[in-house]
Amino acid sequence: MNEALARYLAGRLGAPDLSVHDLARIPGGASRETYRFRARYSKDGATVERKLILRRDPPASLIETERSTEYRAYEAFHRLGLPVPEPIALELGNDALERPFFVMAEIENAQVGSILAPDPYGAHRDRIGTQFFTILGRIAGADPGALGLADFDGAGALDTRWQHEVARWEKVIDDDESEPQPIARGALSWLKRNPPPPAQKLSVVHGDYRSGNFLYDGAGDIKAILDWEMAHLGDPLEDLAWALDPLWAHHDPSHPAGTLARDDAIRTWEQASGLTADPQALAWWEIFAGVKGCAIWISAAHEYATRRNDDPVNAFSGWYCLAYHNQVLANRLEALA
Amino acid sequence: MKPEVDDILSISAEQLMGLVPHLSASYLQGATAVQSLLIRFAAREYERGADIRVAENADIRALLKEIAPEAALPEDGSLAISALDAVNAELRRLLIAAHDTADAATNKRIWGLLKAMAARRAVSLF
Repeated sequence: MNEALARYLAGRLGAPDLSVHDLARIPGGASRETYRFRARYSKDGATVERKLILRRDPPASLIETERSTEYRAYEAFHRLGLPVPEPIALELGNDALERPFFVMAEIENAQVGSILAPDPYGAHRDRIGTQFFTILGRIAGADPGALGLADFDGAGALDTRWQHEVARWEKVIDDDESEPQPIARGALSWLKRNPPPPAQKLSVVHGDYRSGNFLYDGAGDIKAILDWEMAHLGDPLEDLAWALDPLWAHHDPSHPAGTLARDDAIRTWEQASGLTADPQALAWWEIFAGVKGCAIWISAAHEYATRRNDDPVNAFSGWYCLAYHNQVLANRLEALA
Repeated sequence: MKPEVDDILSISAEQLMGLVPHLSASYLQGATAVQSLLIRFAAREYERGADIRVAENADIRALLKEIAPEAALPEDGSLAISALDAVNAELRRLLIAAHDTADAATNKRIWGLLKAMAARRAVSLF
């Protein structure tokens, strides 16, 4: 792949002598193949070496998304000054590397917190948490039109955004479930019978904003928000509820994302977004988060079982994560019944 | 004494995890660690898998006999996982249908059952 990638980037960057070095696959989720590499080329008489990341579609994608969605979100929020990697090139065709891909700058000297770790942020948990919920508030408060993302999926009346999202994930369950799912089905019925208030505004929803999807450095600063492939327009509480979900809380749901106390996290988000997290509406979106999780994990299990994508992360998701969200939903809805 | 399947899987999971630091590619390190965890899950499932399914099927059957007495409820025959799963799938379909039309009291009872089912099938990382 080195030579094909070098040929492509040489053309895109106008650097005929560009060469690719140290190309290596790195962990990056099951929905895209992620590679780290260095591009070396001449510019203005000097040798330039750039550390870059390649994100290529796998043979089958965990959740089918518009190929350009993630790239355009990177472009928009990089322009806005949020910590996201600088996008370099997007290729939607199959000629260059057999499948669509994009290239972005590598964020150096930064790491991801494993969702399995009990306390990944240690002494930096408050500092990271304040940044984490502030950045999410800024995403929620931004105007999709001004960002150039008004055509993202999900545009529509504020009082029907919840229906759009419920229908989207119900279809995933319909398409991919390999066995009947009474908890997810019961939760879907509850969501439809107890609709939330209309969205306060139409926001860009990251779609997978959580611990484990950002890079941070040794000083406790968030360097990049990653994995925008499920970005869409919708109710900003969808992202907040997903970020608060206990699956991402590192075994301590009182401190979402393994960072701030829950009330502090919500207050930080409200201050940064200028929006209100109405408790009743947020509770609805937290049930929705559990259903969305179940749908994603059911889809992951389907990908694995059918060998469309046998990344072991898909098996883990379809087993551990689905069992986890089933338990969260059943506990919450039994209490509400 | 022969090694039981769950012992073989547990020991294999440990051995696989022991290989992780010796792998040079970070992608392979991550994938191998997850595979080791999956094998650990499988070791526990070997021990409890049939028991979970028999208990869940009995619980669903008992509730359906009360709230959907007209339903034809399949019984467990073979204790093979695939056979228990086939019965479980049919019982779950009947439970979902009953839940759709449940009154408030029945809804409460169904969620109580679903809560117990989820707890029984919970997967521990440790």
